[in-house]
Amino acid sequence: MLLILIGSFALFTYLQPDIFLNPVNLQNIMIASPEIGVIAVAMMVAMLTGGIDLSTVAVANLSAITITTLYSSLMASDPARAAQMMPFIVLLGLVVGLAGGLFNGFLISYVGIAPILATLGSMQIFNGLAIVWTGGKTLYGAPEELAAVGKAGVLGMPTTFIALLVIAGLVAIFLNKTSLGRKTQLLGTNPVAARYSGINSRQVLMSTYMLTGLLGGCAGVLFLARNPTSSADYGSSYVLLVIVIAVLGGTNPAGGFATVTGVVLATLTLQTVASGFNAIRLSAYEYSIAQGAILILVMILDQASTKRKLNKGLNKANWFKKKARK
Amino acid sequence: MAKAYRALPVLEVKNIVKTYGGVKALDEVSMALTAGNVHCLAGENGCGKSTLIKIISGVEQPDSGSIYIDGKLQEKLSPFSSIMAGIQVIYQDFSLFPNLSVAENITITSQVAIRAKLFSASKAKIAAATIIKELGLTLDLSAKVEALSVADKQLTAICRALINDARVIVMDEPTTALTHTEVDYLFDVVRKLRERGVALVFVSHKLEESLQVSQDVTILRNGKHIISGIASEFDRKSLTQYITGRDVSEAREITSPVMTAKPLMEVSHLCSSGAFNDVSFTLHSGEILGITGLLGSGRTEIAEALFGVRPAESGTIEIDGQAIRVRTIRDAIKAGIGYLPEDRLTQGLFLDKSVGDNIIAGSLDKHRSAFGLLDGEGISKTTQSMFDRLKIKAKSVSAPVRSLSGGNAQRVVLGKLLANQPKVLILNGPTVGVDIGSKEQILEILRNEANLGRGVIVISDDSLELVSVCNRVLVVRQGEIVDTLTGSQITATNIQEMTTA
Amino acid sequence: MLAGLRGSNNEGVLALVLVVIVVAISILNPVFFSLTTMFSIMRGSIVPLIFALGVLIVIISGGIDVSFAAIAIFSAYTAVKIAQDGNFDPGLIVITLMAACFGALLGLVNGAVIANFRLPTLIVTLGTQGLFRGVLIAYVGSKYIANPPMSLDEVAKTNIISIVNEQERGAFLHVLVVPVIILTILVAWMLKRTMFGRAIFAIGGDDEAARRAGFPVVRIQMMVYILVGVLAAVAGVFHVTLGRNANPQDLVGNELDVIAAVVLGGASVFGGRGSVLGTVLGVLLIQVINNSLLLAGVPTAWQRAAVGVLLIVGVGIQALSAKRKTKRSFVTAQLGA
Repeated sequence: MLLILIGSFALFTYLQPDIFLNPVNLQNIMIASPEIGVIAVAMMVAMLTGGIDLSTVAVANLSAITITTLYSSLMASDPARAAQMMPFIVLLGLVVGLAGGLFNGFLISYVGIAPILATLGSMQIFNGLAIVWTGGKTLYGAPEELAAVGKAGVLGMPTTFIALLVIAGLVAIFLNKTSLGRKTQLLGTNPVAARYSGINSRQVLMSTYMLTGLLGGCAGVLFLARNPTSSADYGSSYVLLVIVIAVLGGTNPAGGFATVTGVVLATLTLQTVASGFNAIRLSAYEYSIAQGAILILVMILDQASTKRKLNKGLNKANWFKKKARK
Repeated sequence: MAKAYRALPVLEVKNIVKTYGGVKALDEVSMALTAGNVHCLAGENGCGKSTLIKIISGVEQPDSGSIYIDGKLQEKLSPFSSIMAGIQVIYQDFSLFPNLSVAENITITSQVAIRAKLFSASKAKIAAATIIKELGLTLDLSAKVEALSVADKQLTAICRALINDARVIVMDEPTTALTHTEVDYLFDVVRKLRERGVALVFVSHKLEESLQVSQDVTILRNGKHIISGIASEFDRKSLTQYITGRDVSEAREITSPVMTAKPLMEVSHLCSSGAFNDVSFTLHSGEILGITGLLGSGRTEIAEALFGVRPAESGTIEIDGQAIRVRTIRDAIKAGIGYLPEDRLTQGLFLDKSVGDNIIAGSLDKHRSAFGLLDGEGISKTTQSMFDRLKIKAKSVSAPVRSLSGGNAQRVVLGKLLANQPKVLILNGPTVGVDIGSKEQILEILRNEANLGRGVIVISDDSLELVSVCNRVLVVRQGEIVDTLTGSQITATNIQEMTTA
Repeated sequence: MLAGLRGSNNEGVLALVLVVIVVAISILNPVFFSLTTMFSIMRGSIVPLIFALGVLIVIISGGIDVSFAAIAIFSAYTAVKIAQDGNFDPGLIVITLMAACFGALLGLVNGAVIANFRLPTLIVTLGTQGLFRGVLIAYVGSKYIANPPMSLDEVAKTNIISIVNEQERGAFLHVLVVPVIILTILVAWMLKRTMFGRAIFAIGGDDEAARRAGFPVVRIQMMVYILVGVLAAVAGVFHVTLGRNANPQDLVGNELDVIAAVVLGGASVFGGRGSVLGTVLGVLLIQVINNSLLLAGVPTAWQRAAVGVLLIVGVGIQALSAKRKTKRSFVTAQLGA
């Protein structure tokens, strides 16, 4: 993955060095990546359990809208209080994300709806609520402090980018260093064996989708940090994009295998490709073609390499796989 | 070794060789099927039986060797041409379509075979009814297959084979999921099939059954053709010898239970309607208790009830004198019960995860340090100690389980259980699909664990295994414990007689 | 006893819900209960129903396709653009045929990737969705065509039933309802009465078993995606005709309504289950809800959320009843043993 990132970086540097290597451009990659990266990490976590979460973008918008509305209405009545309450309002945005995740988790683990349908439905609901709330308009008046934080940087890195690294790091710790995280991975590999190992799949699924919801909330805050406006249909192209990123980052959509590092690197790669396309003057639609093509190619290559590995492997391994499929 | 006898075989395979990734799954295997006869294809798991079936059904192509149908050499057998030649395989999972009706399941392959373009549900029903009547069966033609019992699914699969004018029917482990009355019924059907002149292949690793219905026998071991002959020339002992490649020993080496006043586990009046009834027994510390019975006798259901997979409806379970409530698997684990499931591949293992990840899978909560994070050092200590203690043969704890042999994979499951320090170990078929050497070692592990003071329950239909390790053997028939064998009563013959009585 | 009325995929329940909703809304707002509303709901269902038939077929085969809207607008827009650029007007039928060819081709792309490499269908079609849409806008054309060929305009204005009474509201039944009804019957016939249709069910039920039974699984899967492409293209042309404009930015983004309708209609996302009747009811239900919300004075903004709720309630009930069924069937299987 790192190789692809360096490769695509090198390619665009070669094609359009002046524009591509321009610090502004590099800065742009780092500014555009965080929100997508966080949602992609959420997608990866859901895929790790063999599920999917289509509602994260809608959750993020809902959280951004909550923050914007609350803040701007407080601002109108009592500006001093608004500034004072700002952290709580942001926290409330995260709570909205968590609540969205709770709803998904309930539908999936208790009602037993397939994740794709549950999150498809909840995406419609969250998105619908956002439309009703905003009346389909773009809201202005998000906390300026957030935007200010977003614009600030440490060592040339935008704060939001650091936020992405921190969030990714925390998720990595959760997945690998906590009992619940490891159970999440095991559940995705083989739900039946997980049950026989005493793993509480309801609890695991519940926390998985709460986490993806919370990450959606974080993404909402990042939306505002990048751009102090919110609307119901912001980032509607992200749903496809984050699936591409997750799969490109080595996530197995069938569950069990994924790394946070892979997903972060994949995010940077795709953003590099996007800005590279921009630099060599290709349109957003050509970028969308590239996304689709990359997604399918990566999966085909991945499939081919697994097949090769299996053929190379022991006869026994083959035999096991066939038995297991029964 | 194989002698040429009787009429021209319906199907004959000669010197079949098939290699997967450098390993010979079949090495010069030959077999001939005669019309009206049942041919038993026997051997341990992984001996090449399944591969041979796949070659007969055209799903796989042999590397070398030849296939004759009615004496005619088949150049390239595809699944389609195999069906057209009248060869039908009834797979262990039946390969039925759960979402379609019985009638449609019975007729659909024949429609595919004649490359029909249109489909008529009413005609399918008529055709299916004819075949069902011919065999004297009762099946609800419009029921969806997913709603049927296992036995009815199997009958559906048989009807489907017959409607294709099958001349050869291969049944892969046909009795595995049947109760013994259902097995008797199946054998009746088999007799009817023989009268129709169908050649049957029974793939089985169960010897009694095989001898009961077969006329011819072919035995494979590690992909090699060991012997073919007439069934009546074999007896149990010689069959076992050919299959396992060693002498049958009924040697016993048992542990010594600690007879304290309070038994380690006491089960009383456990009931689960339709599965088992009034099951009571005690288990002492250091004891290895066998539970045996035919498939469908309720032996697996008892184990699963104790482990909370499907909790019992009434009755009590006590451990160390304390009554416990087992409603879920987690309850059972908390109470100190460890269970090695029947199907280790789907129920026991995370195949693509490492040996270490598998061993620790059940005891993650016990390896936590500050802030709720996992204690990495503790985990590697536990996994490494299990790895060494159970003598798991793998490159390291980080090797994926998928690359392990059956015996080593089973040890990984055992490691997962033992990492939880259970008081009671319940093992369902601990050595199924495990090679001979590994089998002895696994039994030795059980003795060691019992000597450490654990109570061990072994559920098995392998009488020699039970003879080898058990202090006592409970015999289950039709959901009830009908007998308890102790001491010198525990012999292979006794166990077999009791289970089938 | 009621089981028979419920139908194999709960069609009966769905029909009942539909009737109850119609009655309830008619009581609340008598304006709703009129030929005008009925005909307008039918007109509104034309495009979603054709899409839904395609989605139904894929879902039965055990897959899912989210690229159909992209295929539809790609095919329709390209066909219309060819006609416009060439300055000729071949008529609705030829344009539909042209679009169908493009649809088949794009469906083939989906089918070839999915069937040959056995990849997850959702992700593949998400990828091709981006691909098709990107190619359309980047290379075929990004301009809004406000005046499609005259022949389409003619069709757009043709109704088979026009009732104009003294009140200001007339009732018009659009002519394109006819081909849709024919298509619906054809798909139902294909699924029930042809071996191809049964093969789709068989593959959705158990693809390994289908392979063993001798079905050419790869070929059938390809055919399924081609068929979906063709249906989508037809829907695309009808959409362009009814809207009297061709907008390359159109349609994509509304896939979920269609999938929701099919799933509500009793099709299982796990494959092997679903019926044309259920799908028709599902599409009508969503159209009725959308229409009635409007009449009941609920702002259109709520439509999206309403469809979401409908989907979750519908699927939730199915999931819960499936859960209960597995519990029950386990007990009976045990008793039978």
